[in-house]
Amino acid sequence: MRLPPFQYLEPTNVEEALSMIVAHKETAKIMAGGTDLLNRMKLRLIEPAFVVNIGRLRNMDGIDIGDAETIIGANTRLKDIAGTPLVNKRFRAIAEAAFQVASPTITNMATVGGNLLQNTRCMYYDQSGMVLSGLERCHKRGGTVCLAVKGSKRCFSVYQGDMAPALIAFNARCVLEKKGSMRTVSIAELFTGNGVAPFAIGADELLTKILIPKPEGIYSSAYRKLRLRGSVDYPLASAAAFVSVTNDKKVTTCRVVIGAAGAAPKVIDGASREADLEGIAQKAYDHAEGVDNLKMPGAYRRKMVSVLAKRAIQAAIEDIK
Amino acid sequence: MNEMKKTAITLNVNNETYDIVTYPNRTLLEVLRDDLHLTGTKESCGEGVCGSCTVLVDGTPVRSCLTLAVAAQGKEITTIEGISLGEKLHPVQEAFVNHHAIQCGFCSPGMILTSYALLKENPRPTEIEIRRALSGNVCRCTGYAKIVEAVKSLAEGGN
Repeated sequence: MRLPPFQYLEPTNVEEALSMIVAHKETAKIMAGGTDLLNRMKLRLIEPAFVVNIGRLRNMDGIDIGDAETIIGANTRLKDIAGTPLVNKRFRAIAEAAFQVASPTITNMATVGGNLLQNTRCMYYDQSGMVLSGLERCHKRGGTVCLAVKGSKRCFSVYQGDMAPALIAFNARCVLEKKGSMRTVSIAELFTGNGVAPFAIGADELLTKILIPKPEGIYSSAYRKLRLRGSVDYPLASAAAFVSVTNDKKVTTCRVVIGAAGAAPKVIDGASREADLEGIAQKAYDHAEGVDNLKMPGAYRRKMVSVLAKRAIQAAIEDIK
Repeated sequence: MNEMKKTAITLNVNNETYDIVTYPNRTLLEVLRDDLHLTGTKESCGEGVCGSCTVLVDGTPVRSCLTLAVAAQGKEITTIEGISLGEKLHPVQEAFVNHHAIQCGFCSPGMILTSYALLKENPRPTEIEIRRALSGNVCRCTGYAKIVEAVKSLAEGGN
């Protein structure tokens, strides 16, 4: 598969990158590791006039574990996140998620920023032009139908990033910079919930860092993922759990975030005070979308969301013991 | 159709410097095979799944089908042609031959380079570590057992 034509831009610092993206806005795409973007371009799902390679901006790279807050540069390779012992100790779910992304060779290239901002997927969308030419134009391709849910007025594409649920479980935020200003938003707020345009980010904004607050007291976390193979695949359902306990091991917080169950990761509300496993599992099931648009049946994926939610909580509790 | 201009790039491949003029939309895989005629690197899926296009960039295995050639400038690129000494095979290659870890050979360059990088980083990997490292490389002939055995023989101190 060949890539479509584009002009290549390589900024040498963040300032220059911001100037480039504000100059070209929607006609430019930002490339970090390239593992997601280049595939979408090969399939001709997107044909940007400009590709801005931020992959070499070293000051957007690295993990700084502080007492109050941990800062992860958006360009940090997933392999480095999975392989940092202190990340694994303090933010286990985040390290587990990074470890389980695609395959080791992909995590050598792919970055946390790129993983967070990967587009939603659907078997009626992520296809070559030849396949798509035989399909009616769906919402995500600017049409008016959904091929996964017949008669639907909205898009049911699925967000299949591994990192977002784990980061949201830790209430992580991120820094979005644009020429002349910057803002900090929670990772959960990055998502619109709309499969056609899944991210609430301007075309002139660049995600530069991720900020993870250090949780108080005794806590642990875990990430669990349903996948076809043990490697090289996206989550078909996933759950990240964060659990904190009092000194006498009474659960004070139990936050579950489910992934690959809709166009955005979802925080399971009402699960914050006690680890009522069955109740949380039921809530996870209720919040999950199970549509037949990925490699396993939607009904099975939806059930597995609740199973994985339980397993993630149990793993976190087990780790505290 | 978007505009595109050719650009002059310099690549360091197997300790040799190559100056070429190419389009920015060409992948490292395409340039290695079609411009530099280093056809040991194979194209199979073209989407980062199978691992047959694996090369080392600064010693780390990456997918050359998902790497832009223009973005690989200034880095040390190692292909399968770069690890043997002329006719003399590298010990990882020898181990693959001796353990019958090659059938059709299409996945072998990627398998060997990934194993080579693993052994550099971790000279005594466990079987689990070997399987994990090779989990992004697909082989459709051997069933993997022979490949894992070949790498294990090196982990245990040579064959």
